Amino acid sequence: MNQTQSLSAGQPSFLELSMPRYGMVIDLKRCYGCYACVMACKVKNHTPPGVFWSRILKGEAGTYPNVVRQALPVLCMQCDEPSCMEVCPTGATVKLDNGIVIVEKDKCMGCKYCMMACPYGARYSVDKWESYFPDGLELSPYEEFAKQAWEERSGIGVATKCDFCRDRIAEGRDPACVEACPANARTFGDLDDPESEVSILIKKYRGEVLNPEFGNKPKVYYLAPR
Amino acid sequence: MNPKVNGQLQSDWGWPIAVYLFLGGIGGGAYTIAAVNWFVGETVSASTAVGLWIGFPALLIGSIFLLADLGSPTRAVLAGMKPSTSWIARGFWIISAFMALALLHLILHTFADIGRTEGGRMILGVVGAAGIVCAVGTMAYTGILLGASKGIPFWRTGAVPVVFVISALVTGHFTIMLIALFYPGVTVEAIQAMSLEAAALVVLEVLAILFFLQAAFKAPDPRESALRILRRRSFVIGYFILGLAVPFVAMLIAYRSTTATGLGGYVILIAGGASLGLVGGLILRQSVLVCGALPTLNIAGFEFRRIARPKDPKPSIGLLPPH
Repeated sequence: MNQTQSLSAGQPSFLELSMPRYGMVIDLKRCYGCYACVMACKVKNHTPPGVFWSRILKGEAGTYPNVVRQALPVLCMQCDEPSCMEVCPTGATVKLDNGIVIVEKDKCMGCKYCMMACPYGARYSVDKWESYFPDGLELSPYEEFAKQAWEERSGIGVATKCDFCRDRIAEGRDPACVEACPANARTFGDLDDPESEVSILIKKYRGEVLNPEFGNKPKVYYLAPR
Repeated sequence: MNPKVNGQLQSDWGWPIAVYLFLGGIGGGAYTIAAVNWFVGETVSASTAVGLWIGFPALLIGSIFLLADLGSPTRAVLAGMKPSTSWIARGFWIISAFMALALLHLILHTFADIGRTEGGRMILGVVGAAGIVCAVGTMAYTGILLGASKGIPFWRTGAVPVVFVISALVTGHFTIMLIALFYPGVTVEAIQAMSLEAAALVVLEVLAILFFLQAAFKAPDPRESALRILRRRSFVIGYFILGLAVPFVAMLIAYRSTTATGLGGYVILIAGGASLGLVGGLILRQSVLVCGALPTLNIAGFEFRRIARPKDPKPSIGLLPPH
């Protein structure tokens, strides 16, 4: 059921007025590629080796000798028209009313079709929770906790992805990557609220999305580096 | 090393999915050829009799490979929940319908032998027509499944379904020929007719694969995958030479040979050519899968290519300092 539908024609419902549509703005002029967001995500979400819900890509522009190198933080774009949700055969991928796209792990059969459908490469699936340390060692208490937390929250053999740290959002906090960014390059908020910082930044600095030609309508915006 | 051919490739769909697509193609292709031959007058009776035996088991075995690749196979029953948008869900229903019809056709045609009466032939006609529709759907599905994957530009050129449908017919035909060699009562003339059909289908597949590759070369991301696939020895030698060229020549020789030598003279030629063609069909699907490169991300004039990097090995326990 779409909870944001009007309860009476012509009158916006309470839910319409109050339900945010979460998005993020990343200022590429500020990002210097320190990987703090990557590490914060790993610590917060206990992701096993090889799984990066938050990543940094490095790119170049220009021609020699005028070449610039730029860091690009990427995460799940929480698309308004997510291709992962479209291809999911079981209905395990759903978009919440606040715009966050999640995987209901108990419905996912692990076909990995969503991973092929996501042009941003934001999805991962692991067959087992692996330790970062050499095989043969016992798991440390922290690893035992992380393994259990991962299995309970994300699961083994199913698709996993960033969900904007929705448990933190429920507590009124920003996602871990936003909080950890030392350069304040990331801003999180309600895209539907014209007074929110994200809306103002997008409007003022002409925020762009990655590869709009994909047609997914991402909700992560970038402010150009130059 | 060419800097444009170092992008990250998808690694989540590998051999099991390739086998699934391959067997799905064989099942659909063999059944289509068998049923169409039955409709046009059963001039090649061995083709119909053998082909009907292939559809159902090929799909059944293929489905086992798909199940084996699932992260949570116990939830496979949910696979058909969203046919409105998902091609896996649509495929679930298409393949289920095809398997049911292929099995029914086999039972009615072979075991019940209802084709002797007018009414029986009408029933077989209805089942066969519906079966052909589902078989074509199954063959096309194996390509459309990839074509609908927005994350892999190489698969989205529109040519993959065409290539896979033709390859399905070729591999289905080769499978029929392989088994028909041992079918009681098969004649040299029937084998020769099948050889000519196979050679014609191989020519079609060559045209389709060339169309696919030239379409891929038109854009940077698919071009990288096309370069990758052309650099694979298994693709060039295993598929193009041994899987297409050699079977084509073998089929032509079989067709042009004199019938004086009898059926025995054809066995090595047909069995060798058809077997190589089948291996080629599997290599084609595996190569298309593993050469799927992730798209380049762009913003504000910057290109962010996802570069393939080897996975860091875990440190050895022997290198750890003593407690």
